[in-house]
Amino acid sequence: MSVLFEALRLALRSVLRSGLRSFLTVLGILIGIAAVAIVVSLGESARGQISAQIQSLGTNLIYIFNGDGGGQSRGGERSGHRLSVDDADAIRRQVRGLRGVTVYSSRQAQVVGDYDAARTDVVGGDQDYVNVRGYEVVSGRDLNLADVQAKAKVCLIGATAAEKLFGSGDPVGRMVRISRHRFEIVGLLSRKGQNPFGTDQDDRIVMPIGSWSTRVFPGHDRRVDMIIASAERPDEVELLRDRMDQVMLERHHIPPDGKRDFRLLTQDSFRQTEEEIYQILSVVLISVAGISLFVGGVGVMNILLVSVSERRREIGTRLAVGARRNDIRWQFLIEAMVLTSLGGLCGIGLSLLAIAVLEQQLGWDMSLNPSALVTALVTSLVLGLSFGLLPAQRAARLDPIEALRQG
Amino acid sequence: MARVPRARPRPPLRLLGTATNAGRQSSPAEPNPAAPLVELEGVGKNYLTGPEVVHALIDVNLAIPSGQFVAIVGASGSGKSTLMNILGCLDRPSYGTYRLGGLEVGTRSVDERALVRNRLIGFVFQGFNLLPRTSALENVELPLVYRGVPRRQRRRQALEALSQVGLLNRATHRPNELSGGQQQRVAIARALVTKPPLLLADEPTGNLDSKTSHEIMDLLEQLVETEHITLVVVTHEADIAARAARVISVRDGRIETDVLRSPPPDRAPFPSAEDAR
Repeated sequence: MSVLFEALRLALRSVLRSGLRSFLTVLGILIGIAAVAIVVSLGESARGQISAQIQSLGTNLIYIFNGDGGGQSRGGERSGHRLSVDDADAIRRQVRGLRGVTVYSSRQAQVVGDYDAARTDVVGGDQDYVNVRGYEVVSGRDLNLADVQAKAKVCLIGATAAEKLFGSGDPVGRMVRISRHRFEIVGLLSRKGQNPFGTDQDDRIVMPIGSWSTRVFPGHDRRVDMIIASAERPDEVELLRDRMDQVMLERHHIPPDGKRDFRLLTQDSFRQTEEEIYQILSVVLISVAGISLFVGGVGVMNILLVSVSERRREIGTRLAVGARRNDIRWQFLIEAMVLTSLGGLCGIGLSLLAIAVLEQQLGWDMSLNPSALVTALVTSLVLGLSFGLLPAQRAARLDPIEALRQG
Repeated sequence: MARVPRARPRPPLRLLGTATNAGRQSSPAEPNPAAPLVELEGVGKNYLTGPEVVHALIDVNLAIPSGQFVAIVGASGSGKSTLMNILGCLDRPSYGTYRLGGLEVGTRSVDERALVRNRLIGFVFQGFNLLPRTSALENVELPLVYRGVPRRQRRRQALEALSQVGLLNRATHRPNELSGGQQQRVAIARALVTKPPLLLADEPTGNLDSKTSHEIMDLLEQLVETEHITLVVVTHEADIAARAARVISVRDGRIETDVLRSPPPDRAPFPSAEDAR
């Protein structure tokens, strides 16, 4: 025990004494550990961020997009884009277990307020839009069925848009002008932040879909960009998605094995996609870090092998005065572990620095989580142990007579 | 040459007591004070170099009583280094028996021999072999570290050994801050610190000028006197050998001559046992 402690003291001293050499030796490990720590922290943070963004879309959502392509396809004017308000009504009538069904169409437009004019998203929705998307009306009232049926010239406004157009005051009761139509703001929406696709969900104006497609963006008739439904219970999402699929196939006269002109996605599938991207990124980055660690470990092993042959006389002397093979073995193993764990500590220092910088650049709330710290330290110790094994073995196997031979 | 079989049962090595009580316990595996300190019986060493067998040492019989100052002389390649390595338990004989303090040590394993070296033998080398960038004090402490002596006690014993060689005021100096003679004194202190019954010195003055050489030899002789240590010096310098009580010359792997210059000192083999009475 005392021999091990002595070896630890000795190792610390010799590593610190040859500071530059030690530093260069463990540079690879330093970078590898820092990379692992940064990747883990960044991943955790991004995951949390994306999870929050997906959550902000609403709960238990099922989307129907136009076409068979990507989920973000917009533009009802393109041929084959046949989602309509009537599809939404049919789903509302025929599928039980949905908390709400709404339609969604959106374009950017120049909107003029009292205070200023700005480009913002103009959304066509209906009386269920706020409910399904999980907004709250913080001031004024929600859109109602009467508004929708009458294609009334009323609208809701998001927090960002309200700020742009009206400054800090309550915009309810004010008027906005979009092209040549004036709309009364009847409600202010609660703040939601960014969605997973990077748009600000508060920079928008929501009006009845009829007003949207006949007054502001004429030529859309009853067609819409999306239908969004929200299931009552999370475990029924898949089932309800299949029911909605049935209804849509029937309405669009598509045989069950035919090519759909719409696409159904659940909120969970966004999460899965994000998760997959995160996994792939993690694997790539961790592999790079792993290679760096391996190369770093080989570097440490190389230096230790040199050190063993440089210190033959010392090893011989130690053997002569009664060191056992294990004493010598542990001396070098401990030296290796001290080297790599100091490298690991420096790596953690570097990662803290990098995280601070990233935090500022990305504006995310990031922190080095304790598990990354422990992982980094354990990894560096294990590296020291495994790459120190061969040099330590070589040192321990030295024949004292050979080691002591002059010259 | 008939090889002596290793049939004799070996008691396990029990050298765990410190040097001060090593002589008092009388377990069969403890050093036996009644026997000569060093006993070689029909010891030989063969090396295999390529297809050829080199007989480095052939059928050597040697007994060294406790407290004797012995010089081993011989040309290079005579086998004196091999003899020294076997005496120092750095190497094991190919055949024959080696008893140190009545204890069979010739056939021990690597780690058991490390234990024997740590407990019973002190080494002084031609090249000093001090650890670089390590203080004199810590160099002297080294054998005690491997004995598991606690730090405080280690320090005390090391300081004591340094004062024996007159270097108490150089305890914190590093080897590169010391002269050759001083370095060899530190090495002697390191050999002494465990209070071993046997001190082996391999060309101890080989790297020193003649004045310093004699100072070092004076010190070693004085230790034989005061510490009742058995001293074996390997040397090729005639004036160093001339100071020994007994000169053994080795040639072609055999002891050629064995000359006793003065009667062996009549002392108890284990000084510590004597001190304890």
